[in-house]
Amino acid sequence: MNMVEFQDVSLKFGGNRLFDSLSFNLPRGGRLIIQGASGTGKTTLLRMMLGFVLPDKGRILIVGQELNLDNVWEIRQKMAYVSQEMQIGRGRVETFVREIFNYKKNRGISYRRERLLELLEDFQLSEDTIHKKLEDLSGGELQRVAIIVTLLLDREIYLLDEVTSALDQPLKELIVSYFTGLREKTLIISSHDKIWHQQDFSTLNLDKHGSST
Amino acid sequence: MEAAPEIGLWRLMAAFGLLLIPLGLSLAVRLGIFRQLLVSAGRMTGQLFLMSIVLLYLFRWDNPWLNVSWVILMIFFACFSAMVNSQLSFGRFFFPVFMAYFIGAGMILLFFNGIIVNYDNMFTARLMVVVGGMLLGNSLNSTIIGISHFYESIKKDNKRYLYLLSLGASQNEALLPFFRDSMLAALKPFMANMATMGLVSLPGMMTGQILGGADPQTAIRYQIVIVLAIFTAVTVSVALSVYFTSRRAFNEYGILKQDLFRN
Repeated sequence: MNMVEFQDVSLKFGGNRLFDSLSFNLPRGGRLIIQGASGTGKTTLLRMMLGFVLPDKGRILIVGQELNLDNVWEIRQKMAYVSQEMQIGRGRVETFVREIFNYKKNRGISYRRERLLELLEDFQLSEDTIHKKLEDLSGGELQRVAIIVTLLLDREIYLLDEVTSALDQPLKELIVSYFTGLREKTLIISSHDKIWHQQDFSTLNLDKHGSST
Repeated sequence: MEAAPEIGLWRLMAAFGLLLIPLGLSLAVRLGIFRQLLVSAGRMTGQLFLMSIVLLYLFRWDNPWLNVSWVILMIFFACFSAMVNSQLSFGRFFFPVFMAYFIGAGMILLFFNGIIVNYDNMFTARLMVVVGGMLLGNSLNSTIIGISHFYESIKKDNKRYLYLLSLGASQNEALLPFFRDSMLAALKPFMANMATMGLVSLPGMMTGQILGGADPQTAIRYQIVIVLAIFTAVTVSVALSVYFTSRRAFNEYGILKQDLFRN
């Protein structure tokens, strides 16, 4: 079964035809890089998968289900979305994580502090980060915490929107190698970073799709 | 203690004479507020004179229905002014904000008049019109700050909202942190002000009562209860405004509608 499938998806945005009959699919464990100059709709494409932007025409299927009003809130549970330079909240890291685990839909997943500490170590953050306040973290630290939270929820599909753009080279490498190591997960990445393009991922080039008018 | 002496016409003019200093400065360093200042001062004077006439009749007739209607009219103006001073769309927000104010400030006003100030008639003009005006006027600014902050931060921090939704939040769960932030934005400056009251400033109501001949002991008690009432009115008004408006501000996919802001 395809984890993500676009069937003839079209979208207009402010007079421009952003996508014109765009079709592609991605199996479980598939990896896709979305390429394109800015303004070609990379972020919009990711947001469409989450049901944040609706297509004018065509169908979007996530894990075999067509995205619609009845299932959009359920389907969002399959995915994790991380964007660059994102303000994620306030207060202590662990309090924030606990609040996420307290969401009604996440109550089936139990919060394990050891797992959080493990992930902090994987991403080269010190243990005491859990007691730090989100507003005191640097951009790079915050970006990693945002990623770690999605990993704690163990989602099937990861949508990463320019997540490495603002990071230095060693951190870029760290994040890329972490995600490439997750063989079971489906990854969709929008990035200008060369480092992602050096991986053996399939590419969707948006410059060739939609036509600006 | 005797009541404050009358300010005659010449003395009133002398106060306007003070304006020569800011007007002169405006000309000297080109602040560019000369016209605006004259218009503002003129409006203030005109509106207050009108108000003195309105109050004169409201006090003379002292009809409970008329007093309550006057309060509703003031709430209407308060909402109107709140809308003008924010970027939010009139059509979508006016009614919910009006209802929030009506319930929030209205409830506190009744509590204040009926329970705190133990007067024979809680609908008398002295309480309804005067205390109502104070309550509304002083809660207006913080309420605007609260509501605008809520919607503007969702618009600005859109990624954060979408991130929380993608982490499994229901719409209300994803809105909660924004609600917290906007409550804090509305209440924190007020709390700071409360903490310095009496040290840095002598509040207007208290000053007025003392000038009017009241004993300072009575004046501070009135000041304390009005500040507590205003603070609570702001809390309730902001919370209800956000609650009422957020029902209609998002589509079924949980996305903020585009037409909420004026451009």
